[in-house]
Amino acid sequence: MRSIAVDVLLFAGVALLLLCALGVLAMGSAFDRLHYASAAGWGAALIAVAILVRESLSLIADKALLSAAILVVCGPVLAHATARAGRIRERGAWNPEPPGRGSPEPAGREEETGS
Amino acid sequence: MNVWLIAALALLPALLACGLLCFLSAALTGLVAMELASAVSVVELMLFSEGTHRQPFVDLALVLAVMGFVGLLAFARLMEGERGP
Repeated sequence: MRSIAVDVLLFAGVALLLLCALGVLAMGSAFDRLHYASAAGWGAALIAVAILVRESLSLIADKALLSAAILVVCGPVLAHATARAGRIRERGAWNPEPPGRGSPEPAGREEETGS
Repeated sequence: MNVWLIAALALLPALLACGLLCFLSAALTGLVAMELASAVSVVELMLFSEGTHRQPFVDLALVLAVMGFVGLLAFARLMEGERGP
């Protein structure tokens, strides 16, 4: 019974990680790819639980569980930091001012209002 | 060759895909691929440790999980460019 649980958890973890890699490879934009990359921590968690079920609380299982916990906790932080970097690179600022609220008008608009 | 090493072998194409994306795509996509590669590498080390019953490999996985997070966060902050806070 325990070996079946280990096999199922191991297969699920590997399948999830391969699915993440497939999604990152297949998606078009970096923001779409980010959704798949940030889910990879859960694949690691499934595999760590598989090790835990097989080994009980051994040194390898404890450290594998800790590594997976770090991946699960830090994944969303990394995803946010990456998305923030992408947005700043695209738009010039994290929260750019909309036109007409203190920021200078776009170049074409000034000529229209001037005439 | 046990099931853990077979699982580690099955995950290698994911690492190759990440490497391919890093080389061929734009910088932001490369960063996303590096995030996935970091997680997959941690899992590879965990599986290798369990498959060979060598405990030092899982230490490497733990260190890589922490250092990967710190390194990728630094990369993301650097990629914000000069306009970032």
